[in-house]
Amino acid sequence: MTKDKNNLPKTEQVDVQQTSTPAEVVTVGESLEVPTLPTKERVSRFLRSQQGWLFVLPALLLMCVFTFYPIVSAFVNSFKQEYDGLTDTFNGWGVDNFVRVLKGDTGTGGASFLQCLTNTMVLTFVSVPLSTFIALFIAVALKSIKPLQKAYQTVLFLPYLTNSLAMGAVFLTFFQVIGTQRQINAGTAQLGMVNDLLVWLGIEPINWIKGIGLESKKDLVWHLGSVDIPWTKYVIMIIYEVWSGLPFKILILFSALQSVNKQYYDAARIDGASRSTILWKITTPLISPMISYLLITGIMGGMKQYSAVVGVFGPQMGTNYDMGTMVGYIYNYLELGQTGYAYAGSLLLFIIIMIITLINLRVSKKRVTY
Amino acid sequence: MKITINHLTKAFPSRNKKGSEVIAVNDMNLEIPSGKLVGLLGPSGCGKSTTLFMLSGLESPTRGNILFDDQDVTTLAAERRGIGLVFQNYALYPHMTVEQNIMFPLTNMRMPKDEAKARALDAAKLVQIEDLMARKPSELSGGQQQRVAIARALVKMPNVLLLDEPLSNLDARLRLQTREEIKRIQRETGITTVFVTHDQEEAMSICDIMVVMKLGVIQQVGDPQGIYDDPSNLFVANFLGTPPINIFKGRISNGQLYIGSEAVLERPDLADQEVLVGIRPEGFIYDENGKFTLDLDHIEVMGRDKTVVSTHAESTKPTVRSIIDSDVKLPADAKQLTFNLKPNKVHLFNAETEERIY
Repeated sequence: MTKDKNNLPKTEQVDVQQTSTPAEVVTVGESLEVPTLPTKERVSRFLRSQQGWLFVLPALLLMCVFTFYPIVSAFVNSFKQEYDGLTDTFNGWGVDNFVRVLKGDTGTGGASFLQCLTNTMVLTFVSVPLSTFIALFIAVALKSIKPLQKAYQTVLFLPYLTNSLAMGAVFLTFFQVIGTQRQINAGTAQLGMVNDLLVWLGIEPINWIKGIGLESKKDLVWHLGSVDIPWTKYVIMIIYEVWSGLPFKILILFSALQSVNKQYYDAARIDGASRSTILWKITTPLISPMISYLLITGIMGGMKQYSAVVGVFGPQMGTNYDMGTMVGYIYNYLELGQTGYAYAGSLLLFIIIMIITLINLRVSKKRVTY
Repeated sequence: MKITINHLTKAFPSRNKKGSEVIAVNDMNLEIPSGKLVGLLGPSGCGKSTTLFMLSGLESPTRGNILFDDQDVTTLAAERRGIGLVFQNYALYPHMTVEQNIMFPLTNMRMPKDEAKARALDAAKLVQIEDLMARKPSELSGGQQQRVAIARALVKMPNVLLLDEPLSNLDARLRLQTREEIKRIQRETGITTVFVTHDQEEAMSICDIMVVMKLGVIQQVGDPQGIYDDPSNLFVANFLGTPPINIFKGRISNGQLYIGSEAVLERPDLADQEVLVGIRPEGFIYDENGKFTLDLDHIEVMGRDKTVVSTHAESTKPTVRSIIDSDVKLPADAKQLTFNLKPNKVHLFNAETEERIY
C-alpha cells in the first residue's frame, strides 16, 4: 500500500504539468486528494533539497564576516552624524557626513575630497588606457620576434615582481633633487636623471617632487577652482603607473595573442591587409575580451590606488595630501579619528567604482566580441 | 589562368638537430590548364596542402618555381598573386558580419564603399547567402560559413581559387550538396580552381583533373575515370574506389594468370613472374562454373546491388569484396562461390616495385 502511495503522486503531478485544459485538471485534482505525502517524508525531502547550503556554509560564513558585514556596517555608520568610534555614540541620523565630505567642510584640516577624487580620476584614466595601449604594442612586437623571445618576456615581466614601495623609491631618485636649499640656489645640488636630461636639453630643471621650478622658483601647479593640479607630480605618477602596470598587461595580452588562430593572419595576408589593418581590424577585436578585462580591472585598481603614491610622495601623499587618492582620503580621516568622514568617503568610492564599472561593462558589451 | 609548377620542392627543417629534414613536396612538376577544377588527392601527410599553400604564397618553396600564365610568382607576396583561398576551418573573422567578412579584401584594396558593397552582394548571390549578410559567423551553420568563405575568396575576382579540404568540416549530406555547389560556382565563374582533399570520392565526383600524391610525389595525373580505369601503380589503384580494390598474390605462368592453384585469366603477352593482382569489386561475374573460387563469408544486400564478402588464401586483405547485381541468384547455403573475371577490371602489378605491368 505504501508503495502505491509513493508512486501515485509522482505520475499525477507530471500529468498536471502536461495538461493545460481546465477540464482535465479538475479530473486529476480529484485523484490528487487521495495520496498526500506523510509529514515525515515531506520534511526529509525538504531537508535533502536544502543540503547544498551545507557545502557553501564555510565560504558563506567567511564572506559574511569579511565582506558583507563591513559593507553593511560602513553603509549604516556613514549615516551616523558626529559618530565617535571610541564610545560608539552619535548625534542622530542624516547625510551630514556626505555633505561635509563633498563640500570639503570637515573642519579638521584633513585631505580634500575633491582634490583626492580629481587626483584619482586623472591618474586612473590617463595611466590605465595608456599602459594598456603600450602593452598591446609591446605584446604584438614581442609576438613577431623569434630570437630571444623568452628572454625579452622575462625582462618585461620583472617589474611585476618588484615591490611598489621599492619602485617608488627608484622613481624618486629619477626625479629628485638632492641638496639643501642653499646648494640648490648655488646650483651644486645633485640632480636626478630626468633633470639631467632637461639640463642637457637646455630646459630649466624642475623640482618634480615639490612642483617648483629649480631656478625661477615658479610654482608649477595649476589651479582649478578649489582643486590643485600639481602636474609635475602627475607626470611622475603617470609614468610610474604606466611602467608598473605594463608587465601584467603584456603578459595577459601576449598569451591572448598566442591563442589567436594563425589562420586569421594567413587569411588577412591573402586578403591583402596591411600591418596596421591586421592590428586594428583583426588582432585587437580578437583579443578584445582580454583588453576589456585589463581596462576594467585596471580602472578598478587605479581607483583604489594608495601604496604607489605613498612610495613616491611619502605618507602625507605630497604636501598635505595634494597628491592624495580616494583610499588615502579614507586613511587620513581614520587617522584623524573622524571615522564618519572615512565611512562616507569609502561609500562614495564604492559608488563611483560601481558606476564606472557599469559603464565599462555597458561599453564592452557593444565593443567586445567573445 | 594557366598554372605551371616546375621542380617544386618543400623541405621543412627537422625539429631536433640530429634528424634529417622532412621533405613535404618532392620535385613536383605539374601543368594546370586554365579554367579547370583540379583536385589534389592523397592521404594525410602527402604534401597536398603544402602544395596548395605554396601556390597561395603562404609557404615559400625550397626549390623550383611556380608560374601563373607566363609570370613567375615564386617570390611574389601572397596578396599580390591575385588568388582566393578558402581555409579548412574557413577562418572567418568572428567579430565581423558576413558582409564585412566578404568586403574585407575589397576594403584592403581601398575600393569605394558603394562599389565594394555591390561586389560583395554579387559574390553572396553567387553562393546564395545574400539573406545572411547582417549575421555574425557564429550565427551560421557550417555549410553557410563555408559559403561565406568561398564568397570572400571570390569577391576580389581572383585568377586562381584555392580550397583547402573544403568539405571536411561538413556532415555527409551537406558534403554532397556543397561539392555540387563548388562545381557549379567553378563552372559559372570559370576560375582555375585547385582544391585539396583526402576523400577520393569527393575528388572523383567533381574534378576535371585529379592529381594523386603520395609522400610528396605525384603518382598520377589525369581525369578521374581515366585514373580509376588505368591506375599507374598499386597505390593509386588501392586509393581510388569504394569499396577498395581487392589485391591477391598471383603469378604468370605459360600465359596464364594464376591465383593460388587456379588459372583465372589468360595473359599470353606476359613473361612468367610473380605479380600482385588487383581486381575491382565490380570485376566479378558470378558463374556456377567460374574459374575463380572464393570462400563465402556473408552477403551484404544494398538494394541496388549486393556485396559478396568472402575470403581467399592469397588475398592481401582480410576480406574480398565483390559487387554483383541484385538480380543474380546465389545458391542459398553455398560455402564457396565461383566467379569469372572481367579482364578490364583486373590490373597486374610488379610484386616488388608495385608498378603496373598490365
